[in-house]
Order: sequence, then structure tokens, then C-alpha cells
Amino acid sequence: MFFVTYLRRELQHRLRQAIVIALGLAVGIGLVVTVTAASAGVRQAQAAVLKALYGVGTDIVITTAAPAPPKPGSPGAGKYQQTFTPGQKPQNVSELGLPPGLGLLGSSSVPKVARLGGVAAAAGGLTLANTTLTIPSIAQEQSGHLPANATGSTITVDGVDLAHAGLGPFASATIRSGRSFTAADADRDVAVVDSGYATASKLTTGSAIDIAGHAFTIIGITLQPQGGGSADAYIPLARAQALARFQASDLDGKVDAIYVKAASAAAIPAVQNEVAALLPGATVTSSASLAGAVSGSLASAASLAEDLGRWLAVAALVAAFTIASLLTMAAVARRVREFGTLKALGWRSPRIVAQLLGESAVIGVAGAAAGVALGFAGTALVQALAPELSAAVANNPGSAPPQNVSLNPGSGGIQHHIAPGALHTVPVHLTAPVTLTAITVAVALAIAGGLIAGSAGGWRAARLRPAEALGRIG
Amino acid sequence: MYALTGVTRTFRKHSGTIAAVQDIDLVIGDGEWLAIQGRTGHGKTTLLNLLGGLDRPTSGTITLNGHDLTAMSENQITRIRAATIGFIFQTFNLIPTLTAAENVQAALIPLHIAAAERRERTAAALDSVGLLDRARHLPSELSGGQQQRLGIARALAKQPVVLLADEPTGNLDEDTRDEIITLLENLRHQNKLTVVLVTHDTSLAYRAPRVGIMRNGRLSIRQDHDRATT
Repeated sequence: MFFVTYLRRELQHRLRQAIVIALGLAVGIGLVVTVTAASAGVRQAQAAVLKALYGVGTDIVITTAAPAPPKPGSPGAGKYQQTFTPGQKPQNVSELGLPPGLGLLGSSSVPKVARLGGVAAAAGGLTLANTTLTIPSIAQEQSGHLPANATGSTITVDGVDLAHAGLGPFASATIRSGRSFTAADADRDVAVVDSGYATASKLTTGSAIDIAGHAFTIIGITLQPQGGGSADAYIPLARAQALARFQASDLDGKVDAIYVKAASAAAIPAVQNEVAALLPGATVTSSASLAGAVSGSLASAASLAEDLGRWLAVAALVAAFTIASLLTMAAVARRVREFGTLKALGWRSPRIVAQLLGESAVIGVAGAAAGVALGFAGTALVQALAPELSAAVANNPGSAPPQNVSLNPGSGGIQHHIAPGALHTVPVHLTAPVTLTAITVAVALAIAGGLIAGSAGGWRAARLRPAEALGRIG
Repeated sequence: MYALTGVTRTFRKHSGTIAAVQDIDLVIGDGEWLAIQGRTGHGKTTLLNLLGGLDRPTSGTITLNGHDLTAMSENQITRIRAATIGFIFQTFNLIPTLTAAENVQAALIPLHIAAAERRERTAAALDSVGLLDRARHLPSELSGGQQQRLGIARALAKQPVVLLADEPTGNLDEDTRDEIITLLENLRHQNKLTVVLVTHDTSLAYRAPRVGIMRNGRLSIRQDHDRATT
């Protein structure tokens, strides 16, 4: 009880100094909370972008780059070119094919990957592009009055392995209306379309869309999470394999992406190595490695939060601890006679140090409370003032640059490209969530700071010889 | 009983080694009142610090009731100080943030006695110096004489066997000085205390039956009969 009385009286007596020390700690702690929250927010945003790109539960994506096609005019070059000859009437063309630069893997690789150690599940998928063109008639070409659709329009189409619909990009989609796929849909011409595409194209459930010249009935509209939108339409994998064309062949027994769920996060690197050994030449991308490929202001913010923010917080903490320690030591210097007197009265050094540590701990707790409040204010400020961030992510990770991909190269009038590895930019709203862990760490840091300051002062007090302490003043 | 044998305390300064106390042999009996007189800088306070275990001699031994203070650990000396030795300081050395009662209680904390007994002893000590009605006052609310009386109460609350007083009236006016010394004499009789009082004030020193004169770190003792013959 005397301990508390003495402690209370001392803090009341040195209230202004105690407030200065507590505020110093609070600023440091507030910065740590703010930076930690901003950093967590950036990580969450990054994770959301990657999750949308990969799909819920997907840890690794296996793709392969397309082999470089021969140059135009060389033997076999025709297989890589599609040429349409204008006729007397305009022609409508709907082609489902691979995005340029993305190569094919055998479907038989999927069960092999699934059997690898550390793999929980694997599913194949086809990331495709459906291009719709109107080939103008000879008369239109000659007159220069090309139809509006002559430059073509492309939608992205994903073939979904219905046996493993929980893996891959479709897994992160939420059905907003209609229904999702069932096993019975495997060989049907049914599609689930993205809400953004549906709105833009005025599509509803029950409508039909043209994919590879086939009318697919829309059974559901999905809402993609933030950063999503990797496909405009999802169709059963078997139908995609049957309808898509690559080098004049269908894609039966082929996939262009294998989605892998690892048994645990720790197993991911080992699985990556196993896959690399099983499928030499394939590109094995994990969310961690893809995170490095995310660019744009989100990446800049992540870098800022990780590097500058972290060091700023560390510097602020060190400064706060140092100031608190110096002020406490200065306070001890002013109380030399008091401590000398206590030693003369029979107080042992640990008791005096404990008294000092008690005072410092109370200041630390006050600093922690104020620091957490400052942290909440800081995060609110970050959320209010932070500009809208954007993340630029690759459309088809693992694809090769396109070469000689064009439609009707002879006329030079109609060309359509989807650049592989092209980036799509996703707007990201930065939040700065203050977690219980961050608060706990902040409180612990503040109390530790107080105790470090108290220890510095206590060490000085403990070293004082009573005669010296009494003589220095008297 | 104190017994000092060949006690020397030197300090290293920039100019060389200075002997504050040199080769002192001294015995102080139980219940004795010894005044140590001398000019400033001749080693009075250093000797008092050595007696109180606040400092250690460079050479020689000091025993208190058979316990060799020079051979004890810091913790052991601290325990002796807590239970046996009371200090009175020239500048009172009260804790400014604590009340009069709490200042007295501060001396009882190292004894680890129950709170109720601590309160009783505190009240008795304050009563013995006439400050019971000022128990809740801060030192800054007391006069110089009252502050020194509080210092005496704090020294006596632990019921020590030795009272070491370093210029206890140095900061007080003449009337208050007499009041404090009279109080000390009475308390010494009541509590059968051994008192060592350091002062530069000759009139005050000669109220003690035995006076030691410190000069250049050396001590010479004069008894009552010596003074009678000089």
C-alpha cells in the first residue's frame, strides 16, 4: 500500500514530466499502430487482389508458355494464322481460342499433380478468349464503310472443372442471381457470366451468349470480388475443350492452367519444386511469387508501408524510448538525495528500483492508452486521406509474349490482339484495420518502453552509494 | 557498542589521494553521547558515514555490537541500518511528496512490519516530537524546526540503538536549535540511545559528556574531566 501511495504522490508531484514522457511514448506507439494498420490494410488489399486472381483456396497455378511460332512465310506458319477472305456478304465469326502466348498442358498432368506430396487438390482449367468479328463484304471493304464490329470484340472465357469448382478463379465468384454449375452441367451449353459483363451487355439469367458459334444459356450471374474479373464468362471445362481451337485442333484432353491447393502453407515451396520436376518448362506461380509481380500504386503503397513505414515506426519508437529514458534518468538525478536518504533508512536498491519501475510502468500504461487512441486517430486519417490505390496484375501469368498473332494479316485492316501477360488494373480501396494483436503489441511496447526508461533510471539509482548520494547535495 | 580500529578513509581526487579520516581508534559505549566537533572539511561527516555503514573504510575495522561492518555485504549493512541505526540530517532530507506520517512510515518499510503496527509506531514517534497534529502535512507545510523534529521522529520510529546526527541544528535559528537539542537529550534518556552528533558548533558539542575533535582526518577525544581541567 505504501508502494502505491508513494508512487501516486511522486507522479502527482511530477505530473508535467510524466505527461511529457507518456506523450512521447504515445506518439511512438501511435505511429506503430498506424503503420501496422496501414501495412495490414495494404496486405489485405494485396491478398484480395491475388485471391480474386487465383480463386479462394488456390495456392499455386501451373501454366506454360506457348512455343514461339515460326515467322510468317516459313513452313508451318499457316497453322498460327487465321485468314478470312471477304465474300459478297459480311461474315460473322465467333472463335474460342487460347489467349496469345499461353501454352497447353495435358489433362493427364492434373491427377499426377494431385498425387504429389503436400498437394491437397488439383484442378485443370482453360483460360480462353472468345473473339467475335464481322468480316466485311468485298463491297464494304472497297467502299471503306466497315461494319461497326469489324475490329472485333473479345470476352474472356474460363473453362471450369466442375469436379473441382472450389479451385481456380471461379471459386472466388459469388452467385448474385440464378445458380452455379452442377455436375449435370458438364456437357451442356450453359454459362455463368460476370455481373459487370452482364450489365454492360444487358444480359440476365436465361439469356444466351455466343461462344464459338454456340448459344450458351446463362444460368447465373456472378459478382467478382475486388480485383477479380479475370473472366467474363465461365463454361464447363469439357465444353471449352471441345469448342476451343488451337492451331486448327480442338483442346480435348488439354488445359492451360492447373490450380493447386497445398496441404498447408508450409508445403507450398516443396510443392513448387515437385511440380517443377514433374513438369519441366512449366511456369509455377504461387501467390507469394505473384505478389512480387503486382505493380501499380498498391505495390508502391505496400513497399512504402513495408519499408519506410516500418523504419519510421522503429525510429519513432527508439526516439520515444530514448527520450523517456533520458527524462527518467534526469528525474533520478534530481532525486539523488531522496534515494540516498531511502538507502540510509535501510531501503535496499531493488526496492528503490521497483518503486521507479512502478512509476515508469504507470507512465507506460498511460502512454499505451494515449498511443492506441492516437493510433486509431492516425488510421482514421489514413483511411480518410489515402488516395484510391490501384493494382496492376497480369492477365495470364506464365504466358509468353505474342508473336504474329493477327486476324486477316493480308488485308491489314482487321487485327485483334490480347497481349499475354498484359496487365489489368484493379482499383483498391485502402483500409487500415487496427487489430487486437496490434493493440496488444502496442500496449506491450509502451509498457516495455516505460520499463526500459525506468530500468535506466533504476540502474543509476541502484549504483548510487548512499554516502555519495547524500554528500552530493548536502 | 562501537569499536573502531585503525580506520582510514581516503578519496582519490585529481590532485592525488586525500585522507578524509586517518587511523582512528575509538570505542563508543552503549548509551553514550559522543559529540564530534571540527571545522568543515576535516572529516566529521565521513566518520559519521562510516559509523552508519553509508561508506566503507579504506582500511581498518568497525564493529557494532560485535558485528564487523567492514566485512559485511551491502545487503547485510542495509539490514543493520534499517533496524539499528537512525539518521538525522542537517537538511532534514524529508521526502517532499510524502506527508509527515508517510515520511515516518518510510523508515519502517524495510522492517516489514504489519501496517497496523507501522501506524502505531508512526503515531507514537510523531507524538514524541509533538507533531501528531501535523501528521497529514507535507514537509513544505512545516517550519524548519518542525521539519527537523519530523526527521527525529523518522529516526526514532524504528526504535534504533544508535542515533547518528549530522549537524542537526545547522539550518535552524538559535531558539529552535536549543529546542531540538533538548528534545534529543530527552529522547536519548528515554530510549537509552547511543548518540553520535557531528557539529561545528562548540557550545552544542560541549553539551555532550564526551567530545571528539576532528582535525585533518584525525580524532582526539576529550572527556568531561579534561574539559574541567582546561
